[in-house]
Amino acid sequence: MTDQLTLLQALRLKGRVRASDLAESLAIDGPVLTAELDDLAAAGLAVEANGRFKLTPAGRDRLSELLDAERADLDTDALTTAYEEFDSYNNELKALMARWQLKDESTPNDHTDAAYDAAVIADLRALHDAFTPLLTRIVGQAPRLDHYPIRFASALAKIEAGDTSWFARPIADSYHTVWFELHEELIGLTGRTRAAEAAAGRAL
Amino acid sequence: MTLAEHRTNETRTELVVLDGTTDHDRELIGGKAWSIQHMRALGISVPPAFVITTEVCREYYDNGRTVPPHIWEQVDDAIGHLEGQTGRRFGSSDRPLLVSVRSGAASSMPGMMDTVLNLGMTDDIEAALAEQSGDPAYAADTRRRFGEQFAKVVGTPPPLDPRDQLHQAIRAVFDSWQSSRAVSYRAARGIDDAGGTAVTVQAMVFGNLGADSGTGVLFSRDPITGAKGAYGEWLSRGQGEDVVSGRMDAVHLDVLAESMPEIHRDLLAISETLERSGRDMQDIEFTVEEGRLWLLQSRSAKRTPEAAVRCAVDMVGEGLITEAEALHRITPDQVRALQNPHLDTAAARHADMLATGKPASPGIRTGVVVVDPDEAEDLADEGTDVILGRQTTDPDDVAAMSVSVAVLTEFGGSTSHAAVVCREMAVPCVVGCGADTITALAGRTVTVDAGAGIVYDGALPIVDGRHEDAALSTVRRWLLDAHPAADPAGDLADLLDMHTREEHTES
Repeated sequence: MTDQLTLLQALRLKGRVRASDLAESLAIDGPVLTAELDDLAAAGLAVEANGRFKLTPAGRDRLSELLDAERADLDTDALTTAYEEFDSYNNELKALMARWQLKDESTPNDHTDAAYDAAVIADLRALHDAFTPLLTRIVGQAPRLDHYPIRFASALAKIEAGDTSWFARPIADSYHTVWFELHEELIGLTGRTRAAEAAAGRAL
Repeated sequence: MTLAEHRTNETRTELVVLDGTTDHDRELIGGKAWSIQHMRALGISVPPAFVITTEVCREYYDNGRTVPPHIWEQVDDAIGHLEGQTGRRFGSSDRPLLVSVRSGAASSMPGMMDTVLNLGMTDDIEAALAEQSGDPAYAADTRRRFGEQFAKVVGTPPPLDPRDQLHQAIRAVFDSWQSSRAVSYRAARGIDDAGGTAVTVQAMVFGNLGADSGTGVLFSRDPITGAKGAYGEWLSRGQGEDVVSGRMDAVHLDVLAESMPEIHRDLLAISETLERSGRDMQDIEFTVEEGRLWLLQSRSAKRTPEAAVRCAVDMVGEGLITEAEALHRITPDQVRALQNPHLDTAAARHADMLATGKPASPGIRTGVVVVDPDEAEDLADEGTDVILGRQTTDPDDVAAMSVSVAVLTEFGGSTSHAAVVCREMAVPCVVGCGADTITALAGRTVTVDAGAGIVYDGALPIVDGRHEDAALSTVRRWLLDAHPAADPAGDLADLLDMHTREEHTES
């Protein structure tokens, strides 16, 4: 049985999502997850439209309560330190994303230069390896995030195997999507808001 | 007639009054004075000016950095000429004459002293200027800027005596010829160290002296569309930077046609003269001081791609330039810009700009601004063109972003989440528009030109660009005439690119 917090948070971060896609993200057996989502819907916390699930307002309220309760039991000092360390990796990741998409400010990367792309992918691997110890510490502080290391590794493996759409593709669990969801989790776990972070020049 | 020529025992041309009768070369009088001389020769009123030639700069260095005393006598005479022309007096608080002092080598050069404006300023003159303009803050600001400019280029605060100010500024211009930046600039480009700089001294004119004064800018054609006919803006009682900086609201030049019809008519005639002489669209700055028109500057105008193409084609039709010159003036990038979907330029000019930000993902779309992602998805499902507007985007916004026709954010740069995601999905996106700029637009229909980073009010016409207009068809015909072997249906920008490269190789 997946805990309710994990499910509600996954639904929130994905927006409107198919049960099968969510099952893959959370590494849960498909039929099991579908049954759990049906239970949420029966409780009025989620709703299904056109095969996609999303939170109801009641579901969002419930998620807020659960996140507040979780935070009360966490070592927020340790997580804040981790978040501050994360910031420099975040800047590196953003710079890599920009290089992946743009050759310069006004020239999109058309991905015809294999050497250029390979260099960016090699730098992503280096960033991934450097970042992994911090990610391990974060998961140690907040065990609910234990699906992140698997998702990062999976996206990187697909990129290195030649399917580069896993670099930045939205909605799918690309490296950028997973990174951005982790970032959102860290903002929440340290009791911050994205708007305040944005105004401070971080989390952009 | 130059003053130097009055001095029968002089063989050198040391000082030239730019009264419209002279024809000296750039090497002697420098670029700035040359353009004044050129406008005067066309019969155009330019604020009275004289130039101390590069000959004197060479004498200055030959004499161990001293200005020969007879030069100061000539400068006094020439100031007298400016006083006569303007009806003002240098150093007098009753109708004071202020001047600008500028360096001017044959070609402009970084590291050389550029300009000191409003030289001749004193306490009494500041008070007089405050009274005449009715604007003490303006007078104080002019005084402050003069003091700062002078101290920066001369190295000391301005002395009290206007003549001392002038002499020090002239020496500073000569000294700047040998500044380390100027010397290394010349060394890097193989420019002769012996050339020297000229010093141009010109009367300042004021557009803020009353109801019959003002300042403006004028384009000899419309720089947005390229349409024939002058296009300009006028600011009654405005001075200098006011129009250029947009600090005050200028009005259409038609207003000048009503208030000062003769000045307006003269201005249009001058605009035509300058365009014919320059053989290109001109960007002209002018000032009217107490009912008298003065041209301050004229240069080739910056223009949109549409104006560049139309102007070049029209000018061939008018016999002003040749087809070869026209093709030389149009760039492949300008043609490509017209081939892509773009806003109707005339409509965009009259539209209100609601917000501007950093371009993150190009494209032009019209839609309704929606600030709630759930609502955005619902409306998009119903077939509405939704523009998602957010302070900053969350992971949970991505689904809404994917169904929106464009995305706008208040915070973030070109590497922000919104930018990365939108580029990946090819959704037009403008980021970092500023606090409360976008969320305040909820429910409004807007047009986003994401490549330019602009949000316009309302639905603007978008030109799809796939069909060549008359001007582009003409350009294609010229290119095919010049290159009979080229594919007649080939991409026009590529054709022009090939043409430009061949020209480059040949020359």
